Amino acid sequence: MKLREIAYSRSGDKGDISNICVFAYEEAHWETICREVTVERVSAVFGKLVKGEIFRYELPGTSGLNFVMTQALAGGVSRSLRTDPHGKSYQSLILDMEIPSTA
Amino acid sequence: MTKRISIGCGSAWSDDRLDWAQELADSGIVSYMGFDCLAERTMALAQIRKREDETRGQDERIPELMNRFANYLSLGGKVVGNFGAANPSAAIDDVLRGLHSTGVSGVRVGAIFGDDVLDHVIARNLELPELGTRVRDLGERLVSANAYIGAEPIVELLADGAQFILGGRIADPSLFVGPIAYELGWSTEDWDKMASATLVAHLLECGTHGTGGNYVDPPYRVLDDIVHLAFPIAHVSNQESVITKLPGTGGAVNSGVVKTQLAYEIHDPTAYLTPDSTADFSNVWVEEVGPDQVRVGGAVGQPRPEDLKVLVGVDEGWKVVTEISYGGSGCVDRARLASEVVAKRLEPYASDINEIRYDLHGVSALFDDQLPRGEPAEVRLRIAARCQDREIADVVSFESQYLWMGPAGGGGVMTHTAPAIGVTPAFLPREDAKLWTEVIDT
Repeated sequence: MKLREIAYSRSGDKGDISNICVFAYEEAHWETICREVTVERVSAVFGKLVKGEIFRYELPGTSGLNFVMTQALAGGVSRSLRTDPHGKSYQSLILDMEIPSTA
Repeated sequence: MTKRISIGCGSAWSDDRLDWAQELADSGIVSYMGFDCLAERTMALAQIRKREDETRGQDERIPELMNRFANYLSLGGKVVGNFGAANPSAAIDDVLRGLHSTGVSGVRVGAIFGDDVLDHVIARNLELPELGTRVRDLGERLVSANAYIGAEPIVELLADGAQFILGGRIADPSLFVGPIAYELGWSTEDWDKMASATLVAHLLECGTHGTGGNYVDPPYRVLDDIVHLAFPIAHVSNQESVITKLPGTGGAVNSGVVKTQLAYEIHDPTAYLTPDSTADFSNVWVEEVGPDQVRVGGAVGQPRPEDLKVLVGVDEGWKVVTEISYGGSGCVDRARLASEVVAKRLEPYASDINEIRYDLHGVSALFDDQLPRGEPAEVRLRIAARCQDREIADVVSFESQYLWMGPAGGGGVMTHTAPAIGVTPAFLPREDAKLWTEVIDT
């Protein structure tokens, strides 16, 4: 199944850094998300879109993860030649990640 | 009676709509409205407008704003905004003109100056970490430098009776932190209080995103009405903070919407840096307490950063973008061939083109090759380049448009060339940014 079935996301930008949050719809899926959505998996999903490092932070109060990806916007919103210089669409890429079924 | 402030958001960016903000102002629910008018790039663009005409560089919506908010102001409503952008003095003129033309009198206007730190970043030759260079290396390409400034001068101006407060690069959350701190008597050096105010401010500053604008993703995330959204409202007291919106409007203020806004553009959630505090949002909780009412809390703070973040504007020459569509069998191959043809024709100019990229919309423009989905029915080739000289940008545009003449079946050519302004972060010791305020009575 896709991560999209149990989680939602939003991406933002600061300079050449993109951040993508992942929150569980159901508290019960928080553990699965923490286990499956690792830096390694996210790195594989984004491939060469991210030239720098990927950091993962937890928001235990709201059952959320926050991924911070450096050199991820081809120079940042003002310099980038990308179609989507903000990386607004990155939230949809992370949610497309395949994870083992929780059903 | 418990002290409480009701504050709304009126704008989240430079071209945000004002009609829904006016709806909130005229509802009588809020006594303060904060207007964020600046994104990273907006400030540098405003500096360019000012360079071309010294009476410009301020937010261009002020005349419309003064018309729409005349009633709110005449009833004593307060406004805080970074309408000044690159030119706070010109913004004051526009505000005074607007007050005069709408016949609203007795408004004390307060202005904050000193966020323009261009001289200081040059004097210190600050490092530009994202560019791997220093300020003076930019030479004549250095356009602007504006420091993100905090809530303290807003608190001072409110204490001085100001009703309409504007400045340049006031940090987005500080527009709301200032009024909350002033009304509730919170010290700007009480870091837990500053973090609590920053949490509320962060949930307001993105306008309609905070009421569901960017939330909907059917079939998983569905809201009844996203046509007529609302700007968010916060009711804040010493006891609690509740985020809500105007009854009868679309969108939603639910825990999902609030959580995605909570994490929006923060990095390490234990250290969200603003000019006002180092806020820890990691244990923030959200609780739905009624229809479109979410109670939030759990933010704690550490001292504010010693350095102020500065956005340095850099002249990047010209950005030129051209697009053309191909369809049917073989469309991706023809679009790729078209890219190769243009690249070959541009070879003689390669050293004058700073960067160029060829993207296939419908295939790989958003995610490179990370999400392969097979052959699409149609594809749009996008050729984007940055060049220091306009003449070279025009050559790139010409050669891209020449795809009209083949490969086969290319249609719908569009091309656009505009000045390119880059912004890049730097960090300046706080004491360098000497801020000052002025009040004008009307």
